This record gives sequence, structure tokens and C-alpha cells, in this order.
Amino acid sequence: MIQLMILGIDIGGTHTDAVCLKGRKILSTSKTTTGRDLVDSILEAVDRLGIEYQGVTRVILSTTLSTNAIVEKKYAKTGMIVSAGPGIDPTRYFLSDAFHLVKGAIDHRGREYVPIDKEEVLNASRQMKNSGVECVGIVSKFSVRNSVHESSIASLIKDDFTYFCQGHTMSGSLNFPRRLNTTYFNVAVMPVQERFVSSVQEALSRLGINAPLFFLKADGGTYASSAANRLPVETILSGPAASMMGALALTDMTEGTALVLDIGGTTTDIGILLNGIPVFEPKGVDIGGLKTLVRGLKVYSVGAGGDSCVWIKDGDLQVGPGRSGPPACMGGPAPTPMDAFAALGKIDTGDSEKAIEVLKPLADDLGTDIPRLSTRIISIMVENIRKGALAFVDQVNSNPVYTIHEMLHPDIVRPQRAILIGGPAHLLKPYLEESLHMECEVPGHAMVANALGAALARTTAQITLLADTQLKRIICPELHMEKEAGQTLSMDELKVLGFDAIRANASLLGLSDDVEFSIIEEQSFNMVRGFSTVGRNMRVKIQTRPGILSEWSRQ
Amino acid sequence: MIRSEKNTGLIFFPAYDWEISPTHPERKERLLYTQDQVLEEGVLDIEGIKEFKAGLADEHDINRAHFCIPDVSSRITPSHNVSAGGCIEAARLVLEGVVDNAFALVRPPGHHAMRVVQGARGFCNINIEAVMVEWVRWHYPRIKKIAIVDTDCHHGDGTQDIYWHDPDVLYISIHQDGRTLYPGSGFPSEYGGPNAAGLTLNIPLPPRTGDEGILYAMEHLVMPVISDFKPDLVINSAGQDNHYTDPITNMSFTAGGYARLNEILKPDICVLEGGYSIEGALPYVNMGIILALAGVDFSYVKEPDLDPMKLRQDPKITDYIQRLCEQILAMWKAREELRPERKPFMERHRSIFYDTDGISENQQEVYRYCDACPGTFKIDSAASTGYHILGVHIPHRACNACRGQGLEWFENPDRRYYTVYLQDMDQDRYISRKV
Repeated sequence: MIQLMILGIDIGGTHTDAVCLKGRKILSTSKTTTGRDLVDSILEAVDRLGIEYQGVTRVILSTTLSTNAIVEKKYAKTGMIVSAGPGIDPTRYFLSDAFHLVKGAIDHRGREYVPIDKEEVLNASRQMKNSGVECVGIVSKFSVRNSVHESSIASLIKDDFTYFCQGHTMSGSLNFPRRLNTTYFNVAVMPVQERFVSSVQEALSRLGINAPLFFLKADGGTYASSAANRLPVETILSGPAASMMGALALTDMTEGTALVLDIGGTTTDIGILLNGIPVFEPKGVDIGGLKTLVRGLKVYSVGAGGDSCVWIKDGDLQVGPGRSGPPACMGGPAPTPMDAFAALGKIDTGDSEKAIEVLKPLADDLGTDIPRLSTRIISIMVENIRKGALAFVDQVNSNPVYTIHEMLHPDIVRPQRAILIGGPAHLLKPYLEESLHMECEVPGHAMVANALGAALARTTAQITLLADTQLKRIICPELHMEKEAGQTLSMDELKVLGFDAIRANASLLGLSDDVEFSIIEEQSFNMVRGFSTVGRNMRVKIQTRPGILSEWSRQ
Repeated sequence: MIRSEKNTGLIFFPAYDWEISPTHPERKERLLYTQDQVLEEGVLDIEGIKEFKAGLADEHDINRAHFCIPDVSSRITPSHNVSAGGCIEAARLVLEGVVDNAFALVRPPGHHAMRVVQGARGFCNINIEAVMVEWVRWHYPRIKKIAIVDTDCHHGDGTQDIYWHDPDVLYISIHQDGRTLYPGSGFPSEYGGPNAAGLTLNIPLPPRTGDEGILYAMEHLVMPVISDFKPDLVINSAGQDNHYTDPITNMSFTAGGYARLNEILKPDICVLEGGYSIEGALPYVNMGIILALAGVDFSYVKEPDLDPMKLRQDPKITDYIQRLCEQILAMWKAREELRPERKPFMERHRSIFYDTDGISENQQEVYRYCDACPGTFKIDSAASTGYHILGVHIPHRACNACRGQGLEWFENPDRRYYTVYLQDMDQDRYISRKV
């Protein structure tokens, strides 16, 4: 068997990390400063690895490209054609002037009540074209139940615009406002993503790397660049996913419940792994203050990091939540928890004299000495992290449930251990162990955990199937698939149909690894009308199991 | 991003694994399309509207409102623990100030369940509002007066029964005239017991009453009565079967009408009751109620097949309702005159049929007419199942004489019973003993 040689690159806001792996061996790692041009940053990070490029079989990128484009609103002029029908006033969700509300109404079972008006759509399209719109999102309410309005609008305008995308292909989940946001952002960043993919491919191929290119998604899975071109919005917020997958790769945590604490300069990001699978945001992640349908990891951020500012408020010592710069011992302006560690002689690097100098006035103010003050600073930081972790676990456990079975037999999340990554992880380990009352592990290579997470994450995809045997329909919005449902269709048959559909559409979905299916949601109802059963309504969400490439975890 | 005017809590418990029977209207899929609609409209993403997990009501909570025969666990399923628990959670959120108002979108419903529970009536085993109200009264003594406005299309005979003698709970039911619909009661002449005369108000509306008629009754009758009564807590028993698409009733109410009703009433807590047009009504009515509670514009919430011309109310109905409301309001204003002549003890005999379970029951109630407190009472109940019991109720703020009388009835019943039960509200003590 030819061993995979994988290049994983995590382009963060400040640093770009790269790692090259072969089998279970880390051949090389590098860390560089992220520059203005992301392609240059990638090349620099790859160059520093000092590896033979010819052997590379796969390249995975975790980038802030889409996130930045969305947050900084640096994307092409984007318009939307929206049909909503009755409900909450849809104009309240319009993100720009180029939003066009057209006629059309579909109900919760996917029945059409008001058809699309062709002239109205063409008119909206002309207006957008005249005003310089390049990308168009098409969204109708309940399109995941019946996509006919979205697809008829698409076929009417497809020749006028290079970039357009339909809401139902983004996600099979119900939520019209989120569908609007997701579709808008997705189509808006399509040109940016496409240009980026082709320049990265060109640059890599100049180095002699012609391996397929993959991107890390917010859900901790990866997908091929062709799928990323189609659904770039899935790459938003891949940073936390990279660290979570890195923690998973470095610890082989496939059983039990673990907290992952990524302790950075300003914040500690907390995630949960349940039997090796991260906990997801149930409805989708937020970006730029807007809610999307993008499936992403649930991460709780606490304003407590190694560089958090230490200050006094009404006579009480405070740590964080802000950061005023690097620690004083590293040349920064103000005291931080890192200075407390420096003052206690727990770190070799940095100027401990400087640390003591900035801590002294605080100690005097509080009438204590430097060692006691330092210990208090650390314990306050640790306490803030502990409170955050508890609040997060509480939040996960208070998710509403909809069946008596779940009400009487709840699955309660109780973390048994913690994985610590990030700069100050090893320093905080003994303190966190005492405070959390659980074993804490700081894995090796934690410095490049993110790049490693990107490198080793499996390709993933998710689809939703809805069968309504009364209306004789099976639909899968993500794959734009519609089939006839027989009267006797069973849930098991529906699942098999879903598995087959994923396999048949592997390239569209950007899947490349062996897939293992898991069912995320499953519901089946008899439909009763007038005291007799007229059909079955079945819903199922299938995902290919996220995780670490088996080549890595098997050994 | 929409921000609601009020903070509204939503307890959604569709009990997807519970049904009365596979083809019964009270079935697993009942709230499925409501959930679909609420999710698709992004209601839970509105800043200010938050979903909370239901809780579990225990036996003690249920015993505050009921004599369950022979005991609580024989009369309910876990689903009832959750639907009553969901109501309690909604009340807790409001009373602790976590939210301004809350909606318990739970099933199964409860407003046909009376104080004595020998079986299930009108799809109801226990009265989830009453369990909630009694939980509130025990845990939050500052809540002294409570108004329940029942807008289910069926008369809430269970809630009426439980609060019949209670001067601190105003029960108003707006429903389709009992001469044309189950349970066949709910006439203005049923206005409460001797010490609570006028505090039960029944507003029976003719079939095909639309938004105009129900909203007229709200504005010209219900609201003036509530502002006289000055309750500390207002509850809407939000049944949704006045809707024009409901398969088992004959009214012409719309989702917009239900939303407007709640905008007028401004309840602290809404509790879902009946409503079996699960595709055509519930998704839109529930949306409308949630938005109205939260103070979000609901003017675009409409049924996709709505044809207002078809639902226009007959002017004769409008006239009838105006006259009815005038009469009932006059009765309310003169409620002191409704008190019957003073007698030490008053008796009532009733036959009750438990249609869901096919059980019949004969009740004989003896009530001590008291000047100092709401008055104690005992109920002798014999059911076709063979259970013959006595239930003794010592009310909130009972006087010593009533407490003494109640305990005497409980200790020394005048005949043999299968079991004797006691509800001692001020002590929060609910006990039973075999005789």
C-alpha cells in the first residue's frame, strides 16, 4: 500500500502553521506569520517545511478566506431573488438593496399555493444585471420541501449571471432566514473562493505539487476543492474545527467524553468530544452577527488566555476578559497570567524581572507579595475557565428534547477528562486538574495541532431525506434529488436510498475517503386524516462520520 | 435580525412518541407541522424568543389539583407528567423573571379533566393548567388572584369544575355553543359556586362565529371583566380549534384572529389545549400566538388558503354576540346578587361521563357555605369501574371552622369508601387512606 503523504496548512489570523505527514510520522512542521497575500503565506509555510514536493498525495487547507471576505464585506455585488409567501415579513431579513421579493408560496409539506410569476422574476433579474450584480442567491420558503420555485427561478436567470446558487442545496434543514443568510454569503464568496483555489493550485503546481486540494469545513470534516467552489460558505470558522480535530488526532480520544480547551492569548475556546465526535451547534454557526445553516462545532469562548490583562476593579483582582498586548515579560505593556508564571519561575523564556516589575504595584495595592499575587492571578484565570466549561456543559445538557423517552432517559454529557492545547497549556495543566477534578492531558505537537487537525480530518458530507408517502415523494434537497415514494416505503429502505445517493454523488459532495455512515436524526410518523392512516412522513439526516483518517489512527 | 419587544419563553414538547391510539386525533404527528413552521420561519432565532426544556410534574404536583382514582400513576402516562411539567416550567420562567411571558406548546391537553379523575375525558387525563396554577399558588404566595381565559372551541368543563368554588380564580371560557358541540355545557347560567358567584363566566358563541365575533367578546366583555378583577397572573388556555379548518368544530376563526386575541389579552402564560387541524391551523395559529406574545409584527402570518370573503361573519351572528356580551357583562357587574341564599351546607348531584375511557360517574358534593373563607367541600364519587371514593378539599386560606369540618369529614366519613382523599391546600398536604 502506498502511504499517503499529506500536507496540512492552517492559515490563522496571525500565524500560518504547516505540517507534513507520512503514515503516522510527522515529517516536518513549520510556523510563519500570516501575510497580506494568503497564497504567499501558504508558499512560505510550505517552503519552510523543507520536504520533497513530489511525494505529496493530498493538500488540505484551513483558511480564513471566506470568513474574512464575509466579515469585511469584501465580495462581489450580490443580489437575491426571494419568494416567501405568508409568514414573518421577509423584508426584515434583507441584507442589501439588491433583494427582490417575488410572488410564490409553498407550505410546510411542499405543496404549491401561489406559483412563480415569470415576468416578475425576469424583471428582477434585469434590474440586478443593470445595477452590476454578479452573484445571485435564490431562496424560497420551504424550498427544502419542494425546490420547484428555486429551480424555476434559476432556469430563468441562469444565462444572465456567472454565479448563482439555490437555497435548498445549502442545507436540508428548515429555517428560511438562515437559508437567506447562508445562500447570500455562499454565492457572494464564490468568486473569491474560485480565484483562490486556482491560484493556490497554480502556485503548488509550480513547486511540483499536483496533489488534490481539500478544504477544512466548520464541521471538522474536509471536502475537495471542487465542492468548496460550489459551497465555500462551509469553510467559515474552520479555525476552531482545526484545533478540535487536532486534539482528537493527538490523543486518539475515541471513547468517553472529553473537554477540549484551546488556551490561546486572549481566549480559551472550549469544545466537547463525545466518543471521538465533536458536539455541533444544533442549528448552524453565526458569522458576522448573522445566523447560518452551516453545520459547525459548538465552541464556547471564555475571555481568559495567557495574555489576558490583569487589573483591579473596586479592590478586586480581575483577569481578562480583554488583552492589551503581549505579556510584560515578552515586552508587552501590562501584567498578564504569563507574567505570573514568569514571576513564579515557571517559564524559561522571557524577562522575569520585567514581569515582577509590572506585578509589584498590584501586589502593593492588594497588600500582598509577588508569589501570592501570582498564584491568585493563575487561580482566577483557571476559575474563569472552569466556570466557562461548566456553563458550556450545562448549555449542552439543557437542549430541549421532544420525546418522552429522552425526557425520562436523558443523555447527560459529563466530561471525564480534558485535553489542553495552545501556548500556555502545559503551564496550566496542574492548576486545571485540581480545579476541574479531572485528568488533563497536554499532547505532544500541540504547537501545530491546528495544521495537524486539518491534515488528518476525513472528508465529510451530510444529506437530508424526506419521504411523504401520501404525496408519493422522496426529496433530498442537498443533492437536488426527487424520487417517487411507494406506499410501502420503510425507514430502512429510505436510509439505504440515502447511503446509495451519497456514494453516487461522492464527487459532487467532495468525498474521497472510505465513508462510514451515521444517522444524525430520524423521525417517522403515521399520517392520520379523518381516523385513518393515509401515509407515512419520514425524515432522516445522514452524515458520513467525521473523524481522523484511519491511516493515522489505525497504527 | 429581529428583536422582539418582550422576552418570550417557549416550552415545546410535541411528545413524538405518545398517542391515545394510532388513529386518534391526539396523535404523534399532531405538532409536527407546527414545529416545521416554527423552525422554517426562524422564530427561535428572533432575539428575545427562547426555547426551554420542559420539566416533569410529579405526583404531589398533580395531587394539588386532583383526586386521581385510585391513584395518580393509574390515571396518567409519563406524557402527562411532561405536559403538566412543561406548564410548570413556563410558569417558573415567568415568575422568576427569566422571561416576560411564556407559551407551553405541549401535549396532551387537560381542560376537560375535573377535580375527581376516574378516567379520561375529551382526550384529557389531568388538567395541566390547574396543576400549574396550584404549583404557582404554593410556590409564589404573592400570586393571589389568577385569571384563566379559555379560548378552546370546547367548553373547559374540567377547569370550570376545579375552580367552581374558588373566589381567587376567575375562569372565563369562550367556546362554541354547548347545544352544538361537546361537552354540551358552558352556558351563562353556570357562573360558579356560592362563594365564587360570577367568577366563572361562560361565553357560548354560535357556530360560524369568526374573528369579528370572538374579538368583539374579548374587547367588550373579557377585558373589562379582567380589569375589574385585577388578577396577578393571566393564563390563556390556548386551544386552537375555533379555526375555520378544524375537523371537529364549526367556527371561522383565523390564525390572525388568534394572534390578535393574545395581543389584546396579553397573557403571562399560554397553554396549548385542543386543536386538531394539524396541517391547516396549528402551524399558523401557534406562529401567530408566539409572535403576539413576543410583540413581533404578525400581520403577514396567514394561512396559505385564507379567503377572508368566505369567512365573513353573518350580521345576525354579530348582533347576537353583541347582545350576549351585554347580558354577561351586566351579570358580572351584578355578581353579588348571584349569590344564593345562605344555608350552612349546600349539595350538588352530577353525572359525569368519561368519553375517552367510556366510564360513568355519579358525584354528590357537599359544600360548607362559609363567610370567613372560600369554604370546604367533600365529593362522594362512585364510578362504573367500581371505585367509590370520598374526596375532601380544604381550600386556600381556609378558616379554622372549615379546616375542622374538612378534617372531620376525612377522619370520620359517614359510610364505607374504597379510599378517602384529602387536599389541604394551605398545608400543601395531599393524603389518602383506606377506610
